[in-house]
Amino acid sequence: MRIKSNKPAVAEIDMTPMIDIVFQLIAFFMVITNFEQIQADERVKLPSDSLAKPPEVKAADELVLNIGFERNDKGEITDPEAYIFYNGEKIPVLQFGPKFEQEARIYKQKNQDPKEVPVILRTDALVKTGLVQDLIKIAQENGFTKFAFKATQKTQ
Amino acid sequence: MKLRSSGREAEKIEPQMAPMIDVVFQLLIFFMLTLNIVEPEGDFNVNMPITDSADASDEPQIFPDIKVRLVANEDGSLNTIRLGQRNLGNGPNVFAGLNNEILKIIGKPGNPITKDMEVEIESDYNLHYEYTLKAVSACTGRLDSSGKHIIRYIEKIKFAPPVDGNSAGS
Repeated sequence: MRIKSNKPAVAEIDMTPMIDIVFQLIAFFMVITNFEQIQADERVKLPSDSLAKPPEVKAADELVLNIGFERNDKGEITDPEAYIFYNGEKIPVLQFGPKFEQEARIYKQKNQDPKEVPVILRTDALVKTGLVQDLIKIAQENGFTKFAFKATQKTQ
Repeated sequence: MKLRSSGREAEKIEPQMAPMIDVVFQLLIFFMLTLNIVEPEGDFNVNMPITDSADASDEPQIFPDIKVRLVANEDGSLNTIRLGQRNLGNGPNVFAGLNNEILKIIGKPGNPITKDMEVEIESDYNLHYEYTLKAVSACTGRLDSSGKHIIRYIEKIKFAPPVDGNSAGS
């Protein structure tokens, strides 16, 4: 019995639909990927608020501080003390003064007034308000006056 | 002149698909791996110039500050909100209530007097930050019916020094 003709033995697969889909996927991932370096720390669980809108004008320089807790894999807090996660270091909130001083010095070297540099506070929802206020006070002592509170943009 | 071989299979030139698919898959995997889902974040701007308390009292104030007092439970959750002397209580709608009260005070959104008005938030030391942020949000405004634009109420927010948590539990 002879079934095959003398056509090539390799079955031709139609590649077109597959390539269509794959290109779709690539385009999708390209669009939603953002390479923007945001200095976010995943340990910080931000509070959410519907009024939180991304800023229209982004400041050229900003000091982003992540204030949060040590959390385990399940997201439970393992250490009741709040820390600032800063350049891979873990600094208790009230001992951040020297770092502010250092930052202020760096900005002054770059001919920038620390007054004009916004301090972006990415604060965990469970941090004590008083602690945040203490931190703001420490920042003010070092010349920072603009502050912004971050929240995730969620509608209830 | 004879360019083609006589065979029937050479009629269509087959593009080389294999290298292209290799590259395309590489790209696909690269984008899949670099994908990190970040929830969009927004901020609330608060201007806190360094002021001496002596200086502040010299300025003539046309409108007194709206005082919002946030009282915390011992575990840091919200106990009550007080607006001036009024108790707004506690509950799921307390921030909406605060929002309404602020609207009543300013009359209508965008009222020129809002430029001169300030909200002073006084909170217990141990109150969780999320409630403070919600209070800030309730004072700054609300979303319009389409949910896209913010109707501004009062932009100037300031914080009073925190109240010691131990004495404020009552």
